[in-house]
Amino acid sequence: MSDTAAVTMTFHPQPQPGQARPWAFPAPERGALPNGLTVLRCHRPGQQVVAVEVNLAAPLDAEPEGLDGVATIMARALSEGTDKRSAEEFAAELERCGATLDAHADHPGLRVSLEVPASRLHKALGLLAEALRAPAFADSEVDRLVRNRLDEIPHELANPQRRAAKELSRQLFPPTLRMSRPRQGTEETVARIDSAAVRAFYEAHVRPATATAVVVGDLTGIDLDDVLGETLGAWTGDCAEPLPVPPVTADDTGRVVIVDRPGAVQTQLLIGRIGPDRHERVWPAQVLGTYCLGGTLTSRLDKVLREEKGYTYGVRAFGQVLRSTADGKGASMLAISGSVDTPNTGPALDDLWKVLRTLAEGGLTDAERDVAVQNLVGVAPLKFETAAAVAGTLADQVEQELPDDYQARLYAQLAQTGTVEATSAVLAAFPVDRLVTVLVGDAAQIEEPVRALGIGEVTVVTN
Amino acid sequence: MGHTATAQAGSGGLTATEHRLANGLRVVLSEDHLTPVAAVCLWYDVGSRHEVKGRTGLAHLFEHLMFQGSASVPGNGHFELVQGAGGSLNGTTSFERTNYFETMPTHQLELALWLEADRMGSLLAALDEESMENQRDVVKNERRQRYDNVPYGTAFEKLTALAYPEGHPYHHTPIGSMADLDAASLEDARAFFRTYYAPNNAVLSVVGDIDPEQTLAWVEKYFGTIPGHDGKQPPRDGTLPEIMGGQLREEIVEEVPARALMAAYRLPHDGTRECDAADVALTVLGGGESSRLHNRLVRRDQTAVAAGFGMLRLAGAPSLGWLDVKTSSGVEVPAIEAAVDEELARFAAEGPTAEEMERAQAQLEREWLDRLSTVAGRADELCRYAVLFGDPQLALTAVGRVLDITAEEVQAVAAARLRPDNRAVLVYEPLPAEAGENGESDENEGAEQ
Repeated sequence: MSDTAAVTMTFHPQPQPGQARPWAFPAPERGALPNGLTVLRCHRPGQQVVAVEVNLAAPLDAEPEGLDGVATIMARALSEGTDKRSAEEFAAELERCGATLDAHADHPGLRVSLEVPASRLHKALGLLAEALRAPAFADSEVDRLVRNRLDEIPHELANPQRRAAKELSRQLFPPTLRMSRPRQGTEETVARIDSAAVRAFYEAHVRPATATAVVVGDLTGIDLDDVLGETLGAWTGDCAEPLPVPPVTADDTGRVVIVDRPGAVQTQLLIGRIGPDRHERVWPAQVLGTYCLGGTLTSRLDKVLREEKGYTYGVRAFGQVLRSTADGKGASMLAISGSVDTPNTGPALDDLWKVLRTLAEGGLTDAERDVAVQNLVGVAPLKFETAAAVAGTLADQVEQELPDDYQARLYAQLAQTGTVEATSAVLAAFPVDRLVTVLVGDAAQIEEPVRALGIGEVTVVTN
Repeated sequence: MGHTATAQAGSGGLTATEHRLANGLRVVLSEDHLTPVAAVCLWYDVGSRHEVKGRTGLAHLFEHLMFQGSASVPGNGHFELVQGAGGSLNGTTSFERTNYFETMPTHQLELALWLEADRMGSLLAALDEESMENQRDVVKNERRQRYDNVPYGTAFEKLTALAYPEGHPYHHTPIGSMADLDAASLEDARAFFRTYYAPNNAVLSVVGDIDPEQTLAWVEKYFGTIPGHDGKQPPRDGTLPEIMGGQLREEIVEEVPARALMAAYRLPHDGTRECDAADVALTVLGGGESSRLHNRLVRRDQTAVAAGFGMLRLAGAPSLGWLDVKTSSGVEVPAIEAAVDEELARFAAEGPTAEEMERAQAQLEREWLDRLSTVAGRADELCRYAVLFGDPQLALTAVGRVLDITAEEVQAVAAARLRPDNRAVLVYEPLPAEAGENGESDENEGAEQ
């Protein structure tokens, strides 16, 4: 049934593209301050909000036994008062610059992110330097942050996506590995944290010699050497041996774990395992293959689950680096994530497995591979328009012990990756019998249909 | 220019030219050659406020149908072609408008214009029962995922329904109700398109690495023959008294992790000085970690996990000031409410300090610079001012207007509007706990390449 009566416009053939203007991922200038701080800088004309990322070599593995969450509390406490200012004064000064300052702790290390209009960069970097070199860690502020963190935990557990992520980590990794446990600690471990523990962690792991600052934005008229010298240059500290990095192991025996949420109208899916990090040669092919599987709503998963069946608002497949080191001991999480309505949970999983099996049988097509390359490579200038996006990627590269031109070379590698390589990479990444499936949903409704699929042993845990 | 971060008071050197095709399509162009990308943004002057009783959610459901093909573009072609060209795209629906946008590498700009024109002129040639049924299910799952299956997920819907009376065009939110989504028919969708999707009910902006003459020629070529029409009825009047005149209140007992106090204050319409003053007031009171409510509730009293104000700017109805406080363990809502009222009353009596004004305006300025840092952000702002206020040039001076607000104006709007008899209140009370939970926490996930 078409409505041709309404169509009176003149149609033209689809236009052909013009000549592409060259674009390259920006190359940073690398240097160091006398205090040992590594600095990467990158001038991006027109980007008036400057982004600064600081990597601190304080990985979660370094948290003392039983004090999971101390890195998080320390990260938050950095901006809660210094040798010169109270917590309230510090927050006020920062906002007077129109700046935002965030800090968070993750497996590879701690990241502090500053964004500020270029005209106030000097002052904001002064505050950042103060937070890094002379945090007060007052008892009252640390106690408050601990109580606040304890109050946040129930909110995170109530969120189906976060609850699923927590369960998947617990399932995949041995309990001895820090990765098996929540990044920001549990109620039990957070409750043990005090200002002495925070200060001890700071003194053991925060120093300019093992830190890197990335500064990106429109630096016109800014003498960055002077500004850095007067701010982060005043931070002092000793040298430190690199921390040992334990190897990552995981049990990806195919199985299903249902986290019971009676009455839930949807089931949150998180299906995953671990795989290689970005130091492995297969990474570009894996990026390409994973995009074809579930990178967007025209990828294989959504083509069926969303656009044909309407079971979901969207399901995505992705690879996320957990920790990456030059010696090859790193790992990434490979996963498929999304939510489907409760009554269709069984049929949706059945279709998802069919998509994986069909892919294993027939592989990707050349057309799929071409579109994926065109998208992944073509969107780069859009994706890295802002200073924050460039700074974030440069800081990730540092954190993952990758060369500064990694991202630029990745685009060249993607363009050279063929259909066969992309197919074998995605099949190796998502083998149908080596996936741990976490479902956060109403067990009374979904357990039987999921059991009937035969995708692995099914267990139910209470929420 | 004491506390202004940029020479141009935040316009970022943005300029724009305006054009109008014979069929009524308004076009706004803005050049910037720093990066080889171009943003296309198309705002249709239709949103959930145009929906009628029994058909809530239709504008948004219709937005999904706009991605299901048109005369020259089969199936998912709108997505496939843009993504295959190295572009990104999406659409969103709000109370007051529906927007569609593509960001393209410069040399693919013409493709995006061709695609937008094709669906503006010929969507009904491709729209069928199959895509209607499929997208109805997708949207119902969007509703479940974003609202129904998340703690406090329906708070926005509930507060909006309290803040705007039954029958008011803003009484319901763009996602609509499940029953109305079920009731929408293919004929409803067709009628919606015929009524609202016309070149003279839209503004197209193109921003970035463009040749304005060439761009305008393409716009004329692809959009110029789409007939305009005047099928659209004006939306129902959204005018309301300045003050609610009493406190509306609802208590919800459901499975949430903590008690919460949320409220919506009735504020001046967007586009007025008073609205900008209200924005500054809410920023001083509840925007960020040096705000009065954060300092009082999170730092000093330690009765809240998080406390803040947000603002929903609206042009066709009063705007809303959005209070959201999640309580700390064991704290009761009346204690929070008393503290909030005390802070608001003190603020109304004393006004902001000079330093608070400086902080709030610096934050609002940075937020504006952030929006302008991408071509897509700029294209969206130009469309916004063109559609809602008839003049895209207002986007260039918007931050200047916020920086021009005085402490007296902030105090005046706070005294007039941030009062207990001018708010709708939503209180969340958790269901009694059945068993102790062992608390653990946060994982994040994302994609990278």
